[in-house]
Amino acid sequence: MKRNWLVALIALMLVLAACGGDGGTDTTEDGGTDTTQAGDGGDGEEITLRILSGNVGAEFESNEIAADLFMEQNPGITVEVVATPDFVEDRLGQYLQLFEAQSPEGDVFQIDVIWPGDLAEHLIDLNEYGGADEVAGHFPAIVENNTVDGKLLGVPWFTDAGLLYYRTDLLEKYNLDPPETWAELEAAATTIQEGERADGNQDFWGFVWQGNAYEGLTCDALEWVASAGGGSIIEPDGTITINNDAAIEVVNQAAGWVGTISPPGVTSYGEEDARGVWQAGNAAFMRNWPYAFSLGNADDSEIAGMFDVSPLPGATSGQSAATLGGWQLAVSKYSEHPEEAAKLAFFMAGESEQKRRAIDYSLNPTIESLYEDAEVLEASPFFGDLFDVFTNAVARPSTVTAPNYSDVSSLFFNSVHSVLTGSADAEDAFLELELDLVDQTGFDTGSP
Amino acid sequence: MALATEEKAKEKKGSQSELAKGEQRLAYWLLVPTLVILLAIAFYPLGSVFYSSFTNDTFASEVETDFVGFQNYSDLLSITFAELPQELDDSGQPVIDPDTGEPEYLSPVQVLPRQPRAYREVFTFGLFGNQYVLGATDADFVLSIIDTLIFTVTTIILEVIIGLGIALVLNVPFRGRGSMRAAMLVPWAILTAVSSRIWEWMFIDTRAGLFNIVFQNLGLTDGQTAFLANESFQLPAAIIIDVWKTTPFMALLLLAGLALIPSELYEAADVDGASKWNQFTSITLPLLRPTLAVALVFRTLDALRVFDLFQIVFAQSKYSMASFAYYELIDSQRLGYSSAASVVIFLLITIFAVVYIRSLGIGEDD
Repeated sequence: MKRNWLVALIALMLVLAACGGDGGTDTTEDGGTDTTQAGDGGDGEEITLRILSGNVGAEFESNEIAADLFMEQNPGITVEVVATPDFVEDRLGQYLQLFEAQSPEGDVFQIDVIWPGDLAEHLIDLNEYGGADEVAGHFPAIVENNTVDGKLLGVPWFTDAGLLYYRTDLLEKYNLDPPETWAELEAAATTIQEGERADGNQDFWGFVWQGNAYEGLTCDALEWVASAGGGSIIEPDGTITINNDAAIEVVNQAAGWVGTISPPGVTSYGEEDARGVWQAGNAAFMRNWPYAFSLGNADDSEIAGMFDVSPLPGATSGQSAATLGGWQLAVSKYSEHPEEAAKLAFFMAGESEQKRRAIDYSLNPTIESLYEDAEVLEASPFFGDLFDVFTNAVARPSTVTAPNYSDVSSLFFNSVHSVLTGSADAEDAFLELELDLVDQTGFDTGSP
Repeated sequence: MALATEEKAKEKKGSQSELAKGEQRLAYWLLVPTLVILLAIAFYPLGSVFYSSFTNDTFASEVETDFVGFQNYSDLLSITFAELPQELDDSGQPVIDPDTGEPEYLSPVQVLPRQPRAYREVFTFGLFGNQYVLGATDADFVLSIIDTLIFTVTTIILEVIIGLGIALVLNVPFRGRGSMRAAMLVPWAILTAVSSRIWEWMFIDTRAGLFNIVFQNLGLTDGQTAFLANESFQLPAAIIIDVWKTTPFMALLLLAGLALIPSELYEAADVDGASKWNQFTSITLPLLRPTLAVALVFRTLDALRVFDLFQIVFAQSKYSMASFAYYELIDSQRLGYSSAASVVIFLLITIFAVVYIRSLGIGEDD
C-alpha cells in the first residue's frame, strides 16, 4: 500500500504544480540583463536604476550607449538596461507582473503609445519633476496622448508610423514606379516575384508585412481599412464603424495576398520576421516601421543602398494611411528613486539623445525641430520627405476604449487573422466583430 | 483483511508505552515545519486561486473586486449545438455553391444565439447530411481543452511506443551502451524554451527551415509551407516537438523498470521454448506494468498542463489550456477569469489522476 500513497502524492504534487504553473513559467522570452558597473558600488549612496526597454533591431545597443553616457554625467548612479520581449503583448505582461507585485525592480519603463491610459495607476506624474518644461518642444499630439487627467505619465521618446519599403533596384529592373494603390502594389509585386523566381531565387516574395495575431496586425489592418475609407475601427466619438463594405473589401484583398505575393507564413510574422525576409533580399516590398531603415543600410545587410521608403498605398491614389506608433518613457510609482529615474527618462528622451538615435538608428524623434536638423536629414532623408506621414498618422482607438483597448484590439486582430488564414470570410468575421465590440464597449454602431 | 489489520493496530495503540507516545509526539512536532511549508507554498496559493475564481479580480490594478459566483465558470464552459440551415435565395430555393456543387449553409454567426450571452463558433461538422456548429461562450477555451486533450493522448501514445522501443534496445548489453544512454537523454536535458525555439526555426516557413528544405528536395512541397501558422499543421508540429523532447524521459523510466525484471524469468522461458514475442507479452509487459503506470501518470499530468511549448511556438495563434489561462491573466488582466480556467485545468487533471490510479491499479498488486 505504501507505493499507492507515493503515487497519489506525486500525482497531487503535479496537479498542484499545474494550478500554479500558468503564471510562473514566463521566463522564456529573452530577458537578457546587462549591467555596466560604474564606481565600486560599495558606498551607501550608490543608486541603481533599471530601465526596461525593447530589443527590436538595435534598440538594446542604443540604450546601453545612452546608459553609459548618463552614468558618465551622473556619478553614483548605475543604470541597468533590461531587454524585454519583442511582442508588445508579452512585454506588457512582463510590466504588469512587476506592477502587480508593486516591485521596485523596474524604475523606467518603455511604454507603447497605446498604454498610458491602461497603465495610469502605476506611473508617476512627471510634471512633479519638471516634466512640462522637458516636453515643451515635442509634438503636442503625442504629449497630449501621454497626459491622463492632467498628469504627464510619459515623456515621448520616439514616434512611429507604418511605411512602405521598396527595392529601388528591382523597380528599375522591371521598369516600375513605387505603387500608390494596393492594386498597383499587387501588380508590381507579382511581376517582380515572377521575374526573380524565374531568375533563380525561389525564395523571393513580393510583399512582406505583419500578419501574426498580435498588436502589429491591428496596426497593419488599420492601415488597410483607413486607406480604403473604412474608418478606424472605433471612431474617436465612440462609434463602432468596422463593419462596412470598404473595410470588408480591403481585408478580403489582403487575404488574397497570403500565399500569392506574400508567403503563406506571413500570418505568423511580426516586425522582425518581415525584416528578416526583406533584409536577406527576398522581398520586393515590406510594410514596417522606420527602425528598419538604418538596419537595412547597415554593413551586414544584403540590400544596403538598394531600397527606399514611401507612404503606404491606399485604395485609391493618395488615400494612404499610416498607423501611429511610438514609445514613451515612464517612471514607475513603485520606484525607490523616482527623482533620479525621471532624470534618466528626461535625459534619454532629450534632444541630444533623440538626435543620436535618429542618426544612428533611424528612430523618429518626437522633437519637431530635429526634423529640420541637417545631420538628421542626411542620415535619414525620408524624415523630411515623409514629415506629413508622421504628423498625420492614424491613431488606434486606444483613448476612446481605455482601459479596455487591449481587449478591443485582440478582438480586431483575431477577427482579421481568421480572414487571412481563411477560417472565416470577412463579411461574417466583421459582423461578429461588430457584435463583439458592442458587447465589449457598449458603444453604438455607425458608418465611418 | 484490511479491517482486521486496522483493529490490530488500534489494540496496539491502547497498550502503547509512554516512550512510544513520547516518540509519536516528537514525530508530530518534527512534521510541523513540513506541514507549514506545504500550507504556505501549496495550499495557500491553491486556495487563493479557488477564491479569486469566484471574483472579477483584475490583475495589476486596484479596480474594485466583486464576488461573481459561478459567472466565470459558466462563461468559460457554456456550450451549445445548433443546426446550420441551408441558405435560401429569394425564391426560397437552396443556394448551391457553383464551384463545388454543394449546398451553402448560413454562417454560424447568423445561427448561434447572442442573447443573453453570445456564443462563438468552435467548429462546424457534418452529420447525416446536415451541418451543425458547436458554439461556446468562450470558443478559445473550449478549443484549447480539445486541443490539449488531443495533444496529450497523441504524445503519450507515441512516447510510450517509441520510449519502450528505446528502453528495450538499451536494456540489452552491448558495447557503448553507457554512452548511448547518456546521449539519449540530451533532448530531455535541453530547456523547453531553448528546444522550442530550435524547432521553431526548423519549422520556419521558408527554405531557411530544415523541414521546408527537406520536403522540397523530396519533391513533396514547394518549400514554402507555413507549418506553424497553418491550422492543420500546428498540433502535429507541437506533438512532434514534445515527443522528441520527452521520449527520453519515458525511455529512462521504462529502462529502470526493465532493469528490475529478473533475468532468470527469461532464462526459464527460453528453456520452455517460449518465443521472444511470447516472452515480451507474458513477462516483460506484465512486470513492467507498475513502472508503465507511474510513467503514464507522470506524462499525462505533465502533458495536460503543457505551457511553455505552446506559449513560445504559437503565442496566441494556438492555445493550450495553460497558455490560455496565462494570456487571460497577463494580456486581458482578468485574474478572476484566469483563475477559473486554472481551476478547470486542476479539476480535469485530478479526474485523470484518479482514473489512472484506479484503472491501472497502481500499487495494488503487492
